Amino acid sequence: MIQPFTPDPLSWVADDGQPIRELPARFTPEVLRGLHRDMVRAREFDRKLVTLLRQGRTTFYAQSRGMEATQVGLARSIRVGHDWVWPYYRDHALGLTMGVPLLDLVSQCLGTNSDPCRGRQMPHHFGAGRQNFVSISSSIASQVPPAAGNAMAQKYLGVDEITVCTFGDGATSEGDWHAGVNMAAVNGAPCLFVCENNQWAISTPLRGQMASETVHVKARAYGMPGYLVDGNDIVAVMEVLAHVVEELRRGSGPALVECLTYRVGSHSNADADAEKNYRTREEVALWTARDPITRVEGLLEHLGHPVSAEERAGLIAATHREVDEAVGQAEASGQPDWRIMFEDVYADLPVHLREQAAFLRAEQTGGRA
Amino acid sequence: MTATEPKPAVQGSEAQGTRTLTLIQAVTEALREELARDERVVVFGQDVGARGGVFLATAGLQAEFGERRVFDTPLSEASIVGAAVGMAVRGLRPVAEVQFADYMGPGFDQIVSQAAKIRYRSGGQFTAPLVIRTPSGGGVKGGHHHSQSPEAYYAHTPGLKVVMPSTPYDAKGLLKAAIRGHDPVIYFEPKRLYRAAKGEVPAHDYTVELGRGAVRREGRDLTLIGYGGVMPDVEKAAAALSKEGVEAEVIDLRSLVPWDRDLVLTSVEKTGRAVLVSEAPRTANFMGEVAYVIQEELFDALLAPVSQVAGFDTPYPYVQDKVYLPGANRIAAACVKVLNY
Ligand SMILES: Cc1ncc(C[n+]2csc(CCOP(=O)(O)OP(=O)(O)O)c2C)c(N)n1
Repeated sequence: MIQPFTPDPLSWVADDGQPIRELPARFTPEVLRGLHRDMVRAREFDRKLVTLLRQGRTTFYAQSRGMEATQVGLARSIRVGHDWVWPYYRDHALGLTMGVPLLDLVSQCLGTNSDPCRGRQMPHHFGAGRQNFVSISSSIASQVPPAAGNAMAQKYLGVDEITVCTFGDGATSEGDWHAGVNMAAVNGAPCLFVCENNQWAISTPLRGQMASETVHVKARAYGMPGYLVDGNDIVAVMEVLAHVVEELRRGSGPALVECLTYRVGSHSNADADAEKNYRTREEVALWTARDPITRVEGLLEHLGHPVSAEERAGLIAATHREVDEAVGQAEASGQPDWRIMFEDVYADLPVHLREQAAFLRAEQTGGRA
Repeated sequence: MTATEPKPAVQGSEAQGTRTLTLIQAVTEALREELARDERVVVFGQDVGARGGVFLATAGLQAEFGERRVFDTPLSEASIVGAAVGMAVRGLRPVAEVQFADYMGPGFDQIVSQAAKIRYRSGGQFTAPLVIRTPSGGGVKGGHHHSQSPEAYYAHTPGLKVVMPSTPYDAKGLLKAAIRGHDPVIYFEPKRLYRAAKGEVPAHDYTVELGRGAVRREGRDLTLIGYGGVMPDVEKAAAALSKEGVEAEVIDLRSLVPWDRDLVLTSVEKTGRAVLVSEAPRTANFMGEVAYVIQEELFDALLAPVSQVAGFDTPYPYVQDKVYLPGANRIAAACVKVLNY
């Protein structure tokens, strides 16, 4: 029933929460509530991080408001810690829902000692070994060829894992994107490519990015199935992914899923005035009305299990507390000192780095240590 | 399931003796032995399978180990290098071939943004122990897209190790060490020495540690330092000087990152003079770093300015192939100038 290369996005639930097709049995009110909770948590994390940014406690942040159904739906469609993920910088809802500890995420954004990545990268570029959530690189689309290689290794090892590779619509213009997708296809590697098509790459709209109607049609040229999904409909995202992931585990080779969604906020803090500069208020309003969270709330109401105002407020407050606590803990752990700069460049410290570290030690300690 | 852990390396007692091999045969032998030793090792690149690579470095390996272990890839350096990163992160030991060093450009971002950075940016949670082998350098009438020496770009990138052998013994030993190491290694093969360099190679298992240079000839009057394709000419120049009564100490760096500063400094301290030879363009040449360290550490011991013999700052020319390269005469002339300072 789920066919690749449809001209319109696959949808299960209308904007107001009314099912357009029969709701699959696995989406019980409990399950939907769990997904709702995940999405609210991701959104409130987002909101709190923007506040931290305004307070000058972190220096960069890329919001994902409006994209929660895509990322949460993806996180809930794979086997965490078993499958591998090569994400991009807007994927905190994905990481959070996969179980990357909120403290680790906050710590990474603050660059504190509690950051597992040890303050080496700009904020919001996290990674988590336990979840096989490979640390994020800023370089657009550079995760795509390695994801193909990761999946090739899985095939080589004969394991039933899959690799997920996410990226925005802009990334599909990069040479690395085409190179990596083709590499996975030629090798029949179990790589699930997920385009989080939020319709903008900083200030460049989709139509300035590509002349094809959709991203998913490109899959045809590489010899893999391509799916177009309503990325604001978590039921649709999870239904399509359930189908695709099963195929991948069965050895079908790679697939491309395009989740059509929208970046409601700005690209990053470097782009605070998106509305004034390159987008219309009408467009943003249109997509705000298609919000993935209110859609699930509408669905739950339709099913006779509405989320009450108190419940929603409770969820929001709980996340805010959780973030506040994490910020407190992270800040209390202090800033990493100069020593860590020299670690993890190589497996062992070569002599030239040993000397440079000694130089900095002398400088930092005024020759005392 | 995981790939089986590597078998212990065959030790000297099991297979004694040496044979004379060419440099490229030594490369092939290293790959064959590592493929046999460790199931995690995979060898791939453009045309490396049935054909055995354009220079035949991988000849016979696919027939011996199968298409699963040794395979062809699409014509895409970004995906060859990038896939190697992903494979290494997921637990394999990829040895990727880039057909010519000149074509690493499309894979550059994968090398510097992914391979070189992933250990650092993840706080050691993810690592990419991979090897990229690539023929480099001139002297084969290849014009500027088959003759360049881009090692400085990679030596300039923290996180990468960079090596370039000039003898069959080192080619085998360095490649094995690179495959067994835990860091990404760019392994340049001086293509004009593929068949020109012949030498004794032990039949038993051995490695050459990355970061150690080698003294090729002892001398007291000056130190001649090179690596890769220029080494035969460096040694020729030293032999010619010897006939004139000048004894040059000849050092082959073998590794650029890390490079053997102790060996170089000990030698230059003894001789008081240094001539640095490479065929890469002169500006921002890796030897500039060597010269800098020598002057910083040994300013008082120097009897003459450190001199560099390098390629010219032109794109590598086709017709003037031989004039472009620093041959024995140009190297000897630089030595004479330094001696007469
Ligand atoms: C190779 C490269 N070029 C340019 C940039 C600067 N840059 C950062 S984000 C971005 C837009 C990416 O858009 P898209 O892939 O659609 O993802 P989105 O931010 O919309 O989620 C650009 C151009 C970069 N990070 N990497």
